[in-house]
Amino acid sequence: MIGLSWEDLRCPYQENRSKTTASLVDRIKNDITNRRLQKKNLVWLELNGCSGNIISLLNGQNPDFQYLITQMTNFIYSNSLITAEGSNAIDQLFNVIGSDFILAIEGAVSLKDNGKYNIIGKKNGKAVTGLEAVNKLGEKASYVIAVGACASHGGVSAARPNPTECVGVQNILKRKVIKLPGCPCHPDWFMGTLAYILLYGEPPLDNRDRPLMFYSKTIHDRCPRRSYFDRGIFASKLGEETCMFKMGCRGPVTLIDCPVRQWNGHVNWPIGDDSPCIGCAQFGFPDAMEPFISYNITRGG
Amino acid sequence: MQLNLFLDFINNSIKEINTDIEKLYSNKYNNMRKVLDHLNNEVLMLDNYINYFSNSNQLRISEPPELYISTIAQQVQPVINGMKTFTLEELAKYDGKDGNPAYVAVNGVVYDVTNNAAWAAATHFGLSAGKDLTNQFASCHAGANILNMLPKVGTLV
Repeated sequence: MIGLSWEDLRCPYQENRSKTTASLVDRIKNDITNRRLQKKNLVWLELNGCSGNIISLLNGQNPDFQYLITQMTNFIYSNSLITAEGSNAIDQLFNVIGSDFILAIEGAVSLKDNGKYNIIGKKNGKAVTGLEAVNKLGEKASYVIAVGACASHGGVSAARPNPTECVGVQNILKRKVIKLPGCPCHPDWFMGTLAYILLYGEPPLDNRDRPLMFYSKTIHDRCPRRSYFDRGIFASKLGEETCMFKMGCRGPVTLIDCPVRQWNGHVNWPIGDDSPCIGCAQFGFPDAMEPFISYNITRGG
Repeated sequence: MQLNLFLDFINNSIKEINTDIEKLYSNKYNNMRKVLDHLNNEVLMLDNYINYFSNSNQLRISEPPELYISTIAQQVQPVINGMKTFTLEELAKYDGKDGNPAYVAVNGVVYDVTNNAAWAAATHFGLSAGKDLTNQFASCHAGANILNMLPKVGTLV
């Protein structure tokens, strides 16, 4: 080929997109080192959910989690990771009130019986519910970020029949809640949003308060298999490397950047491994995205 | 059906009708039959919108308009441009599965969503094909000009 390498043929727009978070964090590194920026307190609250978002965050690369907790923020509290135990831990959580802090919440808020199906700890011998914690901390934080599907809109925790009456954080708080839906949230989506807040304040959001830098295009818009859809070439079973629309792919209704960002250290994503998108980053997941897979859908038409 | 939605539909119909009339005046068409069929369709849709609106708001139209049905068109094509009528029971068969196309009805018009990207597996945000989704459409897409992009296959009776 006329002296062109593979790198020359890559789309600069795609390349640029996949490095959004890294470039924001580089700027932070610079600004903090030069003392133009101060670290902020960060609280990570885990409510009714599977703790999958904090696990996903631990998988972050460039920047990684260690960088987040040592260089970008003062990481005050995380139920899964905090070294303090019992009432010491809970005191650490509530003592943040009065300071300037950013509140990240994963998991839904359970409302049934005044929230008693989700106890996050004990304060002065009394059980503290997730509902109470959201109310107390949510109003005082400088920013509230709902991380993952459950915190954003109820997600899996609120799926039918929703036995503990789970709702998203926005249903509880009257203030703006930045939403990062996804099951789980990609480490980049959270780190990028946090970095943007530290540098410039609230990032540009869509009408449902999702950061536009990650949630502005559908998976279908940037799907590497889009040409198969346009030509009506559809996979009939898993493992076929064509468009999975007839099996129920939710890429066309899901606004998120998986096709360019990819997962597990940016190596692959569901469609890249011949499995349809199940719309985990769309509001209403999972109920509204079902069925996840179908084999008897009419083709052509 | 809300008044603003209804007015949007009427406005769109009039735009389409005007485009057809313009084409006929200016002789800028390849196939007059196609233009006339399209015009005929639009009038049919307009009539449907009016009926649907009056029914859903329990208004009575003093003199229901008489639809022009071309005898010539009928001789050539028994059903105008392939437009069919569906009862709810008939519509239910078009659920997009096992070889059946996926149809949905909105405001009395039946649309084909078989190959619409947002209707993967003949489902859309928990809704399935083969149903009258007028209320669901109004609650999510009120005022959005998206129905015109769908192929129309008939009317709901």
